[in-house]
Amino acid sequence: MTTLGILFMIGSLTFVWGLAFWCYRKVLTAPPEDHVVRPPDSLGG
Amino acid sequence: MSEQKQQWGTRLGVILAVAGSAVGLGNFLRFPGQAADNGGGAFMIPYFCALIFLGIPIGWAEWTMGRYGGRKGFHSAPAILGVIGKGKIARYLGVIGVLIPLGVSFYYVFIEAWCLSYTIEYVRAMFGGAAVGVEVGAPIAQQTAASGAHFSETIGRSGHGSLFQDGIAPIVWTFLIVFAINIWLVKRGLSGGIETFCRYAMPAMAVCATFVLVRVLTLPDQGDGRSVSNGLGYMWNPDFEKLFEPKAWMAAAGQIFFSLSVGFGVIVNYASYMKKKDDLVLSGLTASATNELFEVGFGGMITLTAAFVFLGLAGMADAIAGGSFGLGFTTLPVVFAHMPLGNFFGALWFFMLFLAAITSSISMYQPTLAFIQEALGLTRGKAIALVATLGLIGSGWCVWFSGGMTALGTIDDWVGTFLIVVLAAVQVICFAWVWGIEPGMKEAHHGAYLRIPRIMRFVLKYVAPAYLLIAIGSFVWNDIGKWIAALGQNVVARNTIFLVIGVTTLLVVFTYLGEKRWRAAGMDVDGEREPDEDRIATKAGRS
Repeated sequence: MTTLGILFMIGSLTFVWGLAFWCYRKVLTAPPEDHVVRPPDSLGG
Repeated sequence: MSEQKQQWGTRLGVILAVAGSAVGLGNFLRFPGQAADNGGGAFMIPYFCALIFLGIPIGWAEWTMGRYGGRKGFHSAPAILGVIGKGKIARYLGVIGVLIPLGVSFYYVFIEAWCLSYTIEYVRAMFGGAAVGVEVGAPIAQQTAASGAHFSETIGRSGHGSLFQDGIAPIVWTFLIVFAINIWLVKRGLSGGIETFCRYAMPAMAVCATFVLVRVLTLPDQGDGRSVSNGLGYMWNPDFEKLFEPKAWMAAAGQIFFSLSVGFGVIVNYASYMKKKDDLVLSGLTASATNELFEVGFGGMITLTAAFVFLGLAGMADAIAGGSFGLGFTTLPVVFAHMPLGNFFGALWFFMLFLAAITSSISMYQPTLAFIQEALGLTRGKAIALVATLGLIGSGWCVWFSGGMTALGTIDDWVGTFLIVVLAAVQVICFAWVWGIEPGMKEAHHGAYLRIPRIMRFVLKYVAPAYLLIAIGSFVWNDIGKWIAALGQNVVARNTIFLVIGVTTLLVVFTYLGEKRWRAAGMDVDGEREPDEDRIATKAGRS
C-alpha cells in the first residue's frame, strides 16, 4: 500500500466516522422536538 | 390503527429506519468494486463530491416534500407529488414512487432469502455440516467454479422452474419464511414494526461488520504479496489518471445515488409521518452519514481486502468482473473457506447481509401499503392483504423465472436502476421548479437543528436537475435501444416487462380512484393551500 493510499484511506475513514459521530452526538443531545421553540423563518434565511 | 394515525416513535427511530432502507447489499458488494475500478482512493474525490452536492441535498428535498405532504394528510408519492407538483402530471408521475419500491421488492426479498440460506449453511458447517461446495485443497479457479456452481444450484440459475423440478427447493421455503417475516413486520406498523426492528437490526449489523472487519484486518500474510496491506492498497491506492475520465465521475454519482436510496419513493413516504416541528435536516444528514459509515467504513475495508489476501492480484479481476452477486456469493465463500474460523465469519457476514437486506425490503412494502390505503380507503388489514398478494405474485415470478436471473435482472435494470433516476428527476424538478426553492427551504427549516447551506439552493435548482437530465438523456441516447433489443430476444425478459406494465396500470387506476376520493373528501389534491390553511378550512367546515 502506498503512502497516498494510506492517506486517502485514513482521510476517507476520518470523514465518514467523523460525520457519523458528529451527527449522532447532535441527535442524541438535542432536546425533544416538542420543547424546541425556534421561529422557523429565522433559520430559513 | 388507521394509516393516518401512524407516526414514528422517536427521532432516532426514523433515522435508523431511513438508514436501514439505504444500507443494503450495494454498500458491501457494489461500492468496493466501483471504487477499485475507477481510481481506488482517487475515486473518493468524485464520490464525496457526489455525496455532498447530489445525494444529501436531493435527500433533503425528499424529506421536505414527504413531511409537507404528510401535513396535508397524504403519505404516498402520487398524492404528495400531486401536491408539490400542483397537478395531474406530477401526481401520475408519482406512481413511479410506488412502482419502484414494490417492483424492487419482487426480487429483493428473493435475494434476502439467498443471504439467509447462506447464513444457515455456514451455521450448519460450524457444527460439522457440509460447507458451501468449496474444496480448500483444489486450485483456486476450481474452488471458484465450485462456489459458483453451488450458488447457481441454490438460486435456480440453471433454468426457469428449476427450483420446483425435484420437489420444492429449500430456497423457496426460505423465501416464503423471509416474505412472511417482512409482511409481519410491516403489519406491526411503523413504530411497532419497522422502527423497532431497525433499532435492533442496525446496531446488530454494525456489530457483525466490526467482527468481520477485525478478522479481515488481522489475517496473516499468505505469501506472494497476498497481505492485508496490499489488499487495502488494491482498494485504496489512488490512480489520478482515472479522474480525467467522465466515467469515474458518473460512476461515483451513480453509486451515491443508488446507495442513499434517493429517488426510491421510500424517504417521501417515511418523512410523511413526521410532525411539522420534527427536525428533518439533521435527521436526513444523519441517515446519509450512517449509510456512508457502512459503505466506506465497512464495505470499503472488508470485501476486496479479504478477497485479495486469499485470491491474490490474479484473482481480483474475475472477482470484480462477477459483479456484486459474483463477489458476494461466489468469491467470498472461497475466501471464507480459507479463513481461520471461516464458517463462523461466513455466518456473520451473510447474516449481516441478511439484516442489510431486510431493513431495506420492509421499507419497500410500506409505501405501497400507504398508497393502497389512502387511494382505495381500505382498512389496514385489507390493504396489507393486497400488498402481500401483489408482493407474492411479483416475487413468485422472480422465483419461478430464476434461470439466468432473467426476471430479477430485467426488473433491476428497468425499475431498480433506470426509473430511480427518472423519479429523482421528477422529484427535484417538482421541488425546485414547480414548488419553488424558497418555499421548499422554508418548509425544510421548520424545527430544524441545522441550517442548510445557501449553496444548496443553487445545487437543487440547477446542478441536480442538470445532472439527472443528462444521465437520462445519455442513457436514452446510448443504451435504451440495446435494452429494448435485448427484450426482443428473450421471452421471459419481455414478459417480465409486461408484468411491470400490468402493475403500473393497476397503480395508475388506483391513483385515479384515489384522486376522486381525495377530492370528494375536500382534500387539497393540487397543493393550492398551505397546510395551516387546510386546518383552518377544516375547522370552519366543522363549526
